[in-house]
Amino acid sequence: MNAVRGILAVAGFQLRRMLSPQRLVVAVAGAAFPAAVMLAARRIAGGLDRDFGVVLLYALVPEALCLLGLLVTMCPVVADELERGTWQHVVVRPGGRRSLLVGTFLAAVGWTAGVALLSLALTLFAAGLDDSPRLAGMFAVLVLLSCLGRAALFALPAVIVPKRALVASVGAAIVVEYLAGFLPAVVNQVTVSLRLRSLLVEWMGWRRNLPESLRLFVDDQPPVVQVAAVLVLTAVLLTAASLILAFRQFPPAEEA
Amino acid sequence: MISLHRATKLYGTVIGVNDLTVDLGPGAHGLLGPNGAGKTTLLGLVTGQLRPSMGRVTVFGERPFGNPRVLGRIGYCPAADLLEQQATPREWATYLVRLGGADSGTAVRAADRALERVGLGEAAHRPLKTLSKGMRQRAKLAAAIAHDPDLLVLDEPFIGLDPVARHDLVELVREWSRSRSLLVASHLLHEIEALDAGLAVILGGRLVASGTVEEIRGLIDTLPSEVRLAANRPRRLAEIACSSGLADSLRFEGDDGLVIGTRQPRPLAIALAAAAAREGIALATLHAADRSLEGVFDRLVQLHRGIGSARLERAKRLPAEADR
Repeated sequence: MNAVRGILAVAGFQLRRMLSPQRLVVAVAGAAFPAAVMLAARRIAGGLDRDFGVVLLYALVPEALCLLGLLVTMCPVVADELERGTWQHVVVRPGGRRSLLVGTFLAAVGWTAGVALLSLALTLFAAGLDDSPRLAGMFAVLVLLSCLGRAALFALPAVIVPKRALVASVGAAIVVEYLAGFLPAVVNQVTVSLRLRSLLVEWMGWRRNLPESLRLFVDDQPPVVQVAAVLVLTAVLLTAASLILAFRQFPPAEEA
Repeated sequence: MISLHRATKLYGTVIGVNDLTVDLGPGAHGLLGPNGAGKTTLLGLVTGQLRPSMGRVTVFGERPFGNPRVLGRIGYCPAADLLEQQATPREWATYLVRLGGADSGTAVRAADRALERVGLGEAAHRPLKTLSKGMRQRAKLAAAIAHDPDLLVLDEPFIGLDPVARHDLVELVREWSRSRSLLVASHLLHEIEALDAGLAVILGGRLVASGTVEEIRGLIDTLPSEVRLAANRPRRLAEIACSSGLADSLRFEGDDGLVIGTRQPRPLAIALAAAAAREGIALATLHAADRSLEGVFDRLVQLHRGIGSARLERAKRLPAEADR
């Protein structure tokens, strides 16, 4: 119970930090950007092919926007505390390290998912696609899974190299998600991008008509397995980050 | 209460704390040392932020690193300024109490009590960025004591404060230490002295002295010191110093300078001043080694750096030279 309270305290505090006017402006701009791209694509193409629109929506919201949002909110989990001089206050509280990590994870997921869902609504409106409510539900799940998995992925560099977390996380996103994730090998099984792509293909009913060359980049397992895989991956990454943070020490000169 | 046994903390090849053994019982303790002496590292070990590279650290009989039972009984106020911008002191203190596992209502009440106690009740709802340094220091202190810890650990709590704020904070901490245990690290010695705390002096990551103020003064009394003066009749004052039985050695500097080696500089200085007045000797300067805590501290620093031992050797030689 105490652990849950600590985690919720951090999540609430971090969300309040994120609710600054500057951050809200950035969030609204970020949410509007995919809609603007979709509108531009519609105008340039003189209309929008449904499948192309869905792929563009997938690339813009669950991938690009979620990644950017999590880079801003999850990566500085330790670096921000060191810079603000609050690290020492937090880690001397019982369970402070774990609460800081998990609470920030929840806040980052909540904030990014909120912005992404707003963006999803705007972009779907801009795209003018058929059966938007069904697409909205489907993409909402993809957004949530993307946020969970990627936030946990970014937690690792954030605790291992806090002062280079942003660069390391961009590197991790490129190497793990967009390099290993597209390798037709066992390694892509432990990436979020494979699971999200596979869900998209499955839910859009594209699997039957998928060219043989593209079948290498999606997984054949049913959706429930894909969702479970993301949740397990999230739990493993977050546990690993929590264990690393539990033993992390910073010389006094590095603080503040 | 706090026990370090051969504790060493290394940061790569840099030594933060070096083979330090000390036991601090319940009550108030001051940790003295110049910048870079290892005070903050020692506090980091005590408050469970750091693990010793070698040796053992226990607080309340248990290792503090990652131990919620110990951490729940410690309140810590770091030296670094709080750069949290938007939060108010009330939000900050409430947050830290909730972080320890308290429910929201309990945390708010505890934060309010602590803010009242440090005299920040009226500014409790102002953003931290709008508060003065002294007020932010109080906010940090309130956050440290809000969960009612058994041990309060303060790192350089008086740094950057104006004299009034310093006085107020000293009074606050003194009041706290009457009922709970306290460990204060500082290089501002007069404030530590005002806290009536036991002392541990740390230099280069090593403990060089510990005990009460009086015990450390007693220690310093066993070390040679000096009285320096300039007068129109230094040889007469040298005679008086020798006849007083307080002088260990004599050395003349120029035509009017006299340096007297002694283990009791203050009584000797008083005796010389009285004699000068009685015999009409014009004293230009008279300087006795500082016996305040600051003076003691300076002497320990000198000894640690080898200056004192060189002077000790010289002092041993001087009586023989004076005899010749």
